[in-house]
Amino acid sequence: MTTITFRDVEQLSASLDGQLSQAEKMRLEARIQLDPALSATLLDLQQARAILRRTPKRRLPRNFTLTPRMAGIRPPIPRLVPVFSWASAVAMLLFVLTLGTNLLGRLSIGASAPMMVAAPLANESFGGGSPPATQAPASDNTQAIPTAETLINTAPEATPPGEARLAPPAGPPATKAATEPVKIWSYIWLGLAVLLIAVALLLHRASVLAFRRRVDGKHNK
Amino acid sequence: MDEPALIRDAQHGNLDAFNTLVLTYQAIVYNTALRILGDEDLAADASQEAFISAFRALNSYRGGSFRAWLLRTVTNACYDELRRKQRRPTTPLEPGTEDGDDIETPRWLADPNASPEEQLDQAELEHAIQHCLENLPTDFRAVVVLADIQGLNYTEVAAAVKKPLGTIKSRLARARLRLRECLQSFRELLPAAFRLVEERGL
Repeated sequence: MTTITFRDVEQLSASLDGQLSQAEKMRLEARIQLDPALSATLLDLQQARAILRRTPKRRLPRNFTLTPRMAGIRPPIPRLVPVFSWASAVAMLLFVLTLGTNLLGRLSIGASAPMMVAAPLANESFGGGSPPATQAPASDNTQAIPTAETLINTAPEATPPGEARLAPPAGPPATKAATEPVKIWSYIWLGLAVLLIAVALLLHRASVLAFRRRVDGKHNK
Repeated sequence: MDEPALIRDAQHGNLDAFNTLVLTYQAIVYNTALRILGDEDLAADASQEAFISAFRALNSYRGGSFRAWLLRTVTNACYDELRRKQRRPTTPLEPGTEDGDDIETPRWLADPNASPEEQLDQAELEHAIQHCLENLPTDFRAVVVLADIQGLNYTEVAAAVKKPLGTIKSRLARARLRLRECLQSFRELLPAAFRLVEERGL
């Protein structure tokens, strides 16, 4: 009986797995037959290996398949989706601008009308000038508004060139009062336009994300 | 299953092809992680992490055993997890007795298909094996799990742990000897056939 070295253990272990050459295997087998310590060690290794091979396989707690999100893949979006969503954002922008321009235009015309009417009023108060070309009562500012066309046509005729400079004294208070609402409305419209554009962009982003989530969800099923 | 074709498709970003490979190998990957880490939740996390890393690094696969390549990824994920565990040790929430001792064969280890007696034997044997495995150094543990529990050949084990064949032979021999010594302390838990062999041997 000889002392077993680690080299012997290595050879015995490798022989269990068929990792020895034919010559090595024959030499080892001859030694095992002569040495009971070697055969006992071989048995030990054999048992350890056999017990390990009996280790139960555990059932999987879940599947480990990857979702596109796990894999870092962004799901492809059909080409028309961004086109449509951008188209709706642009449409909303144009709508807001058109509406805003239209309303601001009306307001500015409405606001400038009293100024124009103020000229004949000033003429009358100074006792000179020709009678008003139209029948519209000059004292009632609200009734002077009816049509912008009338006002534009009447104002130059009503004020002769020489007396036009008399009109300004009545002008300033009326101009200040009239431009205030225009300014406020222009700010409101600007803010509203920015807000609506932001909403449109957010909706665009949300629709893209919702689409991706739906694709992800479909992939998980 | 045409594995090379699936790998090729997966390398081109086909997730469905990769998921087919996942379904094929997930059992071996999870069980390897479980035996190295000794914890179901950590093993599940390491397995998932390994598959994610594998998909991202798929272009670095240059042929050979895909199983070994995949197991290298999970072995690395397990090493990372063990290192993390060493840095932040935690107390396991395992069932215990009123005295605060752990119950050695908790019910959740049981296999519902076996009889109660078989379940108990199997659970105790599994617990003994896991205990002995955890007493091995990590590198030895990985080699013995891959070779003896998962049945990989030396070449595959060498590829999985990225070590030369000689190192695998040596580590496996040492690990088997140490396991044999450790398992002897659980003699009464070993299946009857192994006890008889052992008695004859002695």
